[in-house]
Amino acid sequence: MSSGRSPIIAKPKLELLLRTKVRSLRNQIVEAAARAPIRVWATLLLIAIIWVGLYFLFLAVFMQFRRTPLEATVAIPLVFNFFFLALLALLSFSNAIIAHGALFAKREAEYLLASPLRPRDVVTLKFVESLALSSWSLILLGLPLMFAMAQLAGDRAVSGYSFYIIFVAFFLVFIPIPGSLGLLLAWVFARFFPRKAVRIATIIGGTGLAIFMVWGLQSLKLGNTAPEIWLRAFLARMSFVEAALFPNNWVTSGIDGALHGKSWDSLLYLCVTLSNSLFLSWLAVNVVSRYFDRAYDRAIAGRDDVYRVAANPAGGVSGKLFFYLPMPLRLIAAKDLRTFFRDPLQWSQLVILFGLTVLYLANMPTLQHYFRETTYSLLIPFLNLCAISFILATFTCRFVFPLISLEGHQLWLIGLVPMKRGRILFAKFSFAMTVTILVTGASMTWAIVMLDIEPIWALIHLATIVSVCYGLCGLAVGLGARLPSFDQTNAARIANGLGGTVNLLASLSLIGVVLIAVGVASWYAEYRSATGIHNARVVGAIVGAILLSLAVGSISLAIGSRHFDRVEA
Amino acid sequence: MSVEDGPAIHLEGVKKSYGDHVAVRELSLTIPRGELFAFLGPNGAGKTTTIKMIAGLLRPNEGGVSVCGHRIGSNGLAAKSKLAYVPDQPFVYEKLTGREFLHFVAEMYEVTSQRRKEIIPQLIERLDVGSFLDQLTESYSHGMKQRLVLCAALLHDPSVLVIDEPMVGLDPRTVRTVKDLFREQTDRGGTVFMSTHTLEVAEAVADRIGIIHKGDLLALGTLEELRTQMQRNDHSLEEIFLQITRESDE
Repeated sequence: MSSGRSPIIAKPKLELLLRTKVRSLRNQIVEAAARAPIRVWATLLLIAIIWVGLYFLFLAVFMQFRRTPLEATVAIPLVFNFFFLALLALLSFSNAIIAHGALFAKREAEYLLASPLRPRDVVTLKFVESLALSSWSLILLGLPLMFAMAQLAGDRAVSGYSFYIIFVAFFLVFIPIPGSLGLLLAWVFARFFPRKAVRIATIIGGTGLAIFMVWGLQSLKLGNTAPEIWLRAFLARMSFVEAALFPNNWVTSGIDGALHGKSWDSLLYLCVTLSNSLFLSWLAVNVVSRYFDRAYDRAIAGRDDVYRVAANPAGGVSGKLFFYLPMPLRLIAAKDLRTFFRDPLQWSQLVILFGLTVLYLANMPTLQHYFRETTYSLLIPFLNLCAISFILATFTCRFVFPLISLEGHQLWLIGLVPMKRGRILFAKFSFAMTVTILVTGASMTWAIVMLDIEPIWALIHLATIVSVCYGLCGLAVGLGARLPSFDQTNAARIANGLGGTVNLLASLSLIGVVLIAVGVASWYAEYRSATGIHNARVVGAIVGAILLSLAVGSISLAIGSRHFDRVEA
Repeated sequence: MSVEDGPAIHLEGVKKSYGDHVAVRELSLTIPRGELFAFLGPNGAGKTTTIKMIAGLLRPNEGGVSVCGHRIGSNGLAAKSKLAYVPDQPFVYEKLTGREFLHFVAEMYEVTSQRRKEIIPQLIERLDVGSFLDQLTESYSHGMKQRLVLCAALLHDPSVLVIDEPMVGLDPRTVRTVKDLFREQTDRGGTVFMSTHTLEVAEAVADRIGIIHKGDLLALGTLEELRTQMQRNDHSLEEIFLQITRESDE
């Protein structure tokens, strides 16, 4: 065998790596279309339905905003500025997690680094991948927003296709900014905190978020000032989000310009965003590439923390939490709980969610003080129900949906367990229900006491949240079994995948329908019905919403269970 | 002497720690060209850490590593272009077919199209991967993946083949083929650095053997030299290995 190799290999291979990734994706799509065409079409159909739903939701929200001139001129740009600022923070965090996993924890990175590739090519590849993974759902959700905005502006402002092109362009050029920040963060944590990267990131992120929330809530406090003065002071305090140096302001101003036919203004902001995006990407890729080998070494060498714990055959404290389950199921549920709390990537995100809920609940007395004497007495409890439902949906989509997929590598073991597969699904469902009922039940009870809600409405809200728990947990476990990603071991990636997105959209749809039904019923009982809650329509809407939630949970579980029975170990 | 004339692998006073745990301590080792070297040791002895330092994945805390005269670190790309590394868990892209993966590796190592036309059919035949080469690799068993990554590793005719547990999951016929391929590689002047727990394979094919335990290189030499060192001329490699590691524990 004669050698045909070039003497020195140092040419860029990024094009080859990207081409290989595209080929992998193409193979995956072709395989999915050939093996499960119905699943592909059903998923596309569901996404289309959700798109239409989101479009009308955004449209309704914007129309509500437009009712008063003050809201239209001041609130909408402020909301958009906050929206893109929040995206900047969330996408930076999301990209940091994905880039850290891809560059410092995956076997692919090890394989590529042992090959004659420049670190720059590997880093750029992973940067592009993390952008695509963390941002595609954003683009997916951004499209209905775009159409709703265009519809609201009307034909006079949005002429031709320029608005749509500029809107999509803004999303695309904005995404690399948080992507670059995320890449740099991932490198910093691998390089300087290899042993406790996730823990330290959680503490910093959680503390920052808590400070931001406390500050935000303080800013919202009305005190004894007149509403006009308060509003002026509030807008002055919030004006920092419109600072010229913030990317969220470039995007908001650019989209606003496009929406109102100011194409040149819009193009100027697009160029500003693009140039900054390119510069930051260049900076992040170069810095991380230049010092990558040392960071990789530190990340690998720092992974020898040994966690030791005595085994408990009955599942220990975790087992006691699921006392009502028969023994084999109790052990599975206890195992899930322990696995969850031993994975910093999982519990750290729960800490953030829980922190937000605690902050929100801590401010409940303030809300009660403001609205007790007003005509909004039923509005605040309803908004409270909405907030808890959305937090719950976030939890089930992020943490419950991946439970079945995470069993991928142990399917052979599950196949040997002397029980029906459906029972395993029931164990997962029980785990999710127990945790969510405990958290949401406690939150809702606290809110009821703080807001001094009438007993009948308290009962209705408690029944609604329990049914929503059932529906969302059933959806997450059922769809998790029906659309699993057995080849993935990263819960975040499972949740961000196609199945996870379907579950997210289905969950949002479910709580949307339930909350609209309960909201309309509350409004009708309070302002329209002479008999208050003792009205057939009110009772029908509430019972219907509760039954719908229970039905969705049960049907999803049944579909998931039937599919899971057929999956080969 | 140009750098290209240096030994295939040279480790000089290499130390690697994971926090307080020293995985490899003061390891100095020179593997000449054309040698099949077997690196043995119990679990956690420091074999994989050493291999990862040779492959340029880990940086030694002290000392240095060179491959074919090129220092890993300062001249890593040149060193890696001479090297093929096969980890204990073979990595393949799950959504590529075996053939696509081979062509990807060939392009990565800039193997000329002329050589590709010659070498790929030869390796396919030798390692008997033709029957599943056009399937996605996600459907492969461990042994099939191992055969494919061996094909990929040999595509660019590496000067140094570093391989961690090469025989795991292979059927007896493939084990024989792999042994033959290793021997052909060294006969042509190439070097094979193999870490294994399969002492029979090491005994059968290795030119020299190194035994590492708790980060220390306890023994180094041919099988005969190890026997002489232990004063046990009739001992098998297994008995020598057990005696050396047991004495070290005591």
